[in-house]
Amino acid sequence: MAPVRQTDDGALSGRVRGDPGACAQAPGSPAIYAIELRKRYRRTVALAGLSMTVERGEVFGFLGPNGAGKTTAVKLLLGLVRPSGGEAMVLGAPAGDLQTRRRIGYLPELFRFQSWLTAREVLVLHCRLRRLPRPRWAGAVDDALRIVGLSGRGDDRVGTFSKGMQQRLGLGVALLGEPELVVLDEPTSALDPVGRHDVRTIIRELRDRGTTVFLNTHLLAEAEHVCDRVAIISQGRSVATGTLGELKGPRPSVRLRVDGLADGWWEPLAGFGRWTQAGDWLLVEDMPAGRVPELVGAIVSLGGQVEAVIPEQQTLEERFLELLEEK
Amino acid sequence: MNAIWTIAALTVREAVRRKLVAAFALISVVLVILSGWGFYRLSHNVGFTSGETHVALPEAVILFMFMFSFVVALSASAIASPAISSEIESGVLQTVVARPVRRSEVLLGKWLGMAGVLAAYTAIVTSLLVAVVYWASGYVAPDPEVAAAFVFAEGVVLLTVVLLLSTRLSALAAGVLGVALFGIAWLGGVVGTLGTTFHVQAMRTAGHISQYLLPTDGLWHGAIYYLEPSWFISQQLAETPGAQGNPFMSLAAPSWPYLTWAGIWLVLVLVLGLTSFERREL
Repeated sequence: MAPVRQTDDGALSGRVRGDPGACAQAPGSPAIYAIELRKRYRRTVALAGLSMTVERGEVFGFLGPNGAGKTTAVKLLLGLVRPSGGEAMVLGAPAGDLQTRRRIGYLPELFRFQSWLTAREVLVLHCRLRRLPRPRWAGAVDDALRIVGLSGRGDDRVGTFSKGMQQRLGLGVALLGEPELVVLDEPTSALDPVGRHDVRTIIRELRDRGTTVFLNTHLLAEAEHVCDRVAIISQGRSVATGTLGELKGPRPSVRLRVDGLADGWWEPLAGFGRWTQAGDWLLVEDMPAGRVPELVGAIVSLGGQVEAVIPEQQTLEERFLELLEEK
Repeated sequence: MNAIWTIAALTVREAVRRKLVAAFALISVVLVILSGWGFYRLSHNVGFTSGETHVALPEAVILFMFMFSFVVALSASAIASPAISSEIESGVLQTVVARPVRRSEVLLGKWLGMAGVLAAYTAIVTSLLVAVVYWASGYVAPDPEVAAAFVFAEGVVLLTVVLLLSTRLSALAAGVLGVALFGIAWLGGVVGTLGTTFHVQAMRTAGHISQYLLPTDGLWHGAIYYLEPSWFISQQLAETPGAQGNPFMSLAAPSWPYLTWAGIWLVLVLVLGLTSFERREL
């Protein structure tokens, strides 16, 4: 692999020297593109060759157990750490590019704002740092406070905020100036159920606006609620990527409760899938979901009375654990 | 450039909000009251001859400025040591450097803001001292503004080296090392002075080298020189045996080559700090 270089602004970049055409740089390029991205801290391999593509406008979940390398990957994409190898492009520019950072909103996993500033002052500071035109500051600050539910606390010092309120403020800072890409690293870790619900609503609103959201989380339920696609990371590598439907696997099944079937009933029904009996319930596995009405019709024609039909699919958690075990 | 000013202004605001300025103001008030009382007693002491008072006043001003230069240097070390390391540990810096700002702008902004606070503090306390000494005794040191500039420069040298240390070490380690380096440099200056007095070339050389390695003591001697009336040096040399060995006396102003070196040293250490922070992984 060719050496990794620093960008001209001094930021750390994962772009490979001498291979300028490897990544598309046009505006229509993916929001995030990484290939064989690696990071080693002395003897510890934090990222062992991450490859992924995040399309523009999608909510992309980055899932993995603790220590899988998720936060390292985020830091590499933002130029906060230097890659040991591989390449990454963000919004069509090398990861860490100074100008591109204007178009990115970032909520770090572990962060704190200046405790001696008020929430409004923190937001104004970030308007300045983000180089937002001054006439837009007041509107952007009010919008951010409103979106994250801190309108009444804008003039309070951050030092008086609970962890959850600081998390909300962090989200507000990440949303300042309507960035094209919002990177959220464990955004609900300090939030109560109401706060989590609010964050999901905000993420959905961002998607409706066409903003790309990169959601780094270990909470599978969170990903199931809001993500269009997810990547599952284990030991510094992506072990699976796809929509939730794709990841949950090709094994839909249906659970049935039926009365009144005569002996030998299963012979005409054997072609629907693999049958097993569990107590009062019948389970038909590996059956395409579209055949459920046909199956119910066949049972009724054999004199059976269908009391309940429950289509089932492997949960993301089951699939997640399965993938990690396979690994 | 805008980002530098933004961070510098933020640093000054932090000094105000976190009561650093209030602490400086309190120290200044205490110093002024004590020095006013001390200089009044000195110049109105019936036990002194007018000649003794005449000599004691410049000496007392130099001693006061020595104590104050110590406060400035320790303050510089205290405010610079957590500037980078603590903000990385707490996660404050991660939110800043992910913005479209260069890390060099962040570091220079902090340096500028802290240097500004030190400059204001040095200027205010020196002005108050001059006014109080004049009120209490009618004495005015020859070039207090130049002496203040040297005390400030001494503080900035320590500020810069501790800021460099803060890009790699914890606040505690950077602060302790900064104070230790300052103490060693001062001791190096004393060793050099003793070498001059007793004609020990090795000690003179050691003192000289230490003044080049960390120019705090060399700059402090500049401050001393500009607080000494012209008659003071010749009178001391004539009347006091071994006066040139007095660490609170300076026989000559710092040379231009030395001041140039101090400037180059400052720039080099600052660039080293910028490079170190640029390469630091967050």
